[in-house]
Amino acid sequence: MSVEVRIDPTLCRGHAICALFFSEGIELDQWGFGKVTVAVADTPRDVRRARRAASACPNGALVVRDRARRPAGDDARP
Amino acid sequence: METARLAVGIPLVVINAGESEPASRKDRFLCATRPHLVLDGAALLATALGVDEVVVHLHRAPGSPVGRLEAAVAERLRHCADDPGWRLSAGPDRYVSGESSAVAGFVDGGEARPRFTTLPLAVAGPSGRPTVVSNAETVAHLAVLARTGPDGWAARGVPSSPGPRLVTLAGAVTHPGRVLELSGAATVGDALLADGVVAPPAAVLIGGFAGTWVSGEVAWQTPFTRDALHCVGAQPGCGLLGVLPHGACALTETARIVSYLAGESAGQCGTCVAGLPRLAHAWAGLARGDLRRRGVRRMSALGDTVEGSGACGHPDAVVRLIRSTLDTFEDDVVRHLAGRPCRHADHPPVLPVPDPACRDGRDDPGMWR
Repeated sequence: MSVEVRIDPTLCRGHAICALFFSEGIELDQWGFGKVTVAVADTPRDVRRARRAASACPNGALVVRDRARRPAGDDARP
Repeated sequence: METARLAVGIPLVVINAGESEPASRKDRFLCATRPHLVLDGAALLATALGVDEVVVHLHRAPGSPVGRLEAAVAERLRHCADDPGWRLSAGPDRYVSGESSAVAGFVDGGEARPRFTTLPLAVAGPSGRPTVVSNAETVAHLAVLARTGPDGWAARGVPSSPGPRLVTLAGAVTHPGRVLELSGAATVGDALLADGVVAPPAAVLIGGFAGTWVSGEVAWQTPFTRDALHCVGAQPGCGLLGVLPHGACALTETARIVSYLAGESAGQCGTCVAGLPRLAHAWAGLARGDLRRRGVRRMSALGDTVEGSGACGHPDAVVRLIRSTLDTFEDDVVRHLAGRPCRHADHPPVLPVPDPACRDGRDDPGMWR
């Protein structure tokens, strides 16, 4: 199970709550706007933390989506 | 296009003739002088995608060829039975409102601001329908290709980029705003020669305000093809050739462009809103000779932060312009850093950068409709 993590920059208002919940996958710039450093979370712990961060964002700016299943034989971890 | 054909739903086809680049004229020129070429190409695209309506999008700008297109559409209604239905759309005249997701959103009844997308437009646009936004020049070329056949088309380009290309001249040329068609391996120098510029200028801004400065000597010999431009760090962009004469200050010109672009942010993404005015401020300081080496380092770090942070490529474009100016005009930067007043800073403005102060209703929330 792996998920894609993205921030909608048009919704992000720099509350920085995502970085508290998913510090290993999101870093903050000088104004507190988030930048995703782990675009694909693929350990159960990261997936859990990314989902928690997404539900904590007051603006719904953190998008966590299941990755589309790839054809067999295709490496799911590029 | 293939993606849109295979995607679920009836594709929405939009021809983007809303030329956002203030100095570019090629799409306006095409729509004003060859409207049927654009519409022929659009009709071909519609047939290929199996859709029965095409939207032609323009900006509400002075000199916009909307009247000419309306007349052309009326002519076609009488004579072309196989045409798709035509819809003309006129959107706000802002720099970022010509971006493809902004155009797609506006045509769909929303605001003409770039959108954050998790799927390509060709898979699902703002309406959920697969959306193809194609430039007016691209569809006009499609019509030319259909008329000349692949061989005739290839003969007008080079193997790596077949077909001709349109460029707009700006700055220190004989006819600013002139549109030229370049075929084969025609160089930037050939384009300038055709306009009566006989010697390499100081530098050429290639590809638009968000483009790349290339020194005049190098640009002169560079063919205006994607591959050749890539070798000198540039890309065709909107086809603008902004000519900087000897005796003008590139840093001052860039300062005007950066300040204009900073004011053209759609105001959606925090880093763009916070970062671009700071970059513009720092660059204005450099142009005046007020910035020191530490300031340039801070500005570069700020550029790294801003790059890639937006929903659209607007902030990246500003950073690209700044980097290319620092690279191409290293000697000038050193002189400006030394605080010596630039000899050329008083040169009258060269490139036609709109004055940000003259923008009416910039804070009007309705301006994106």
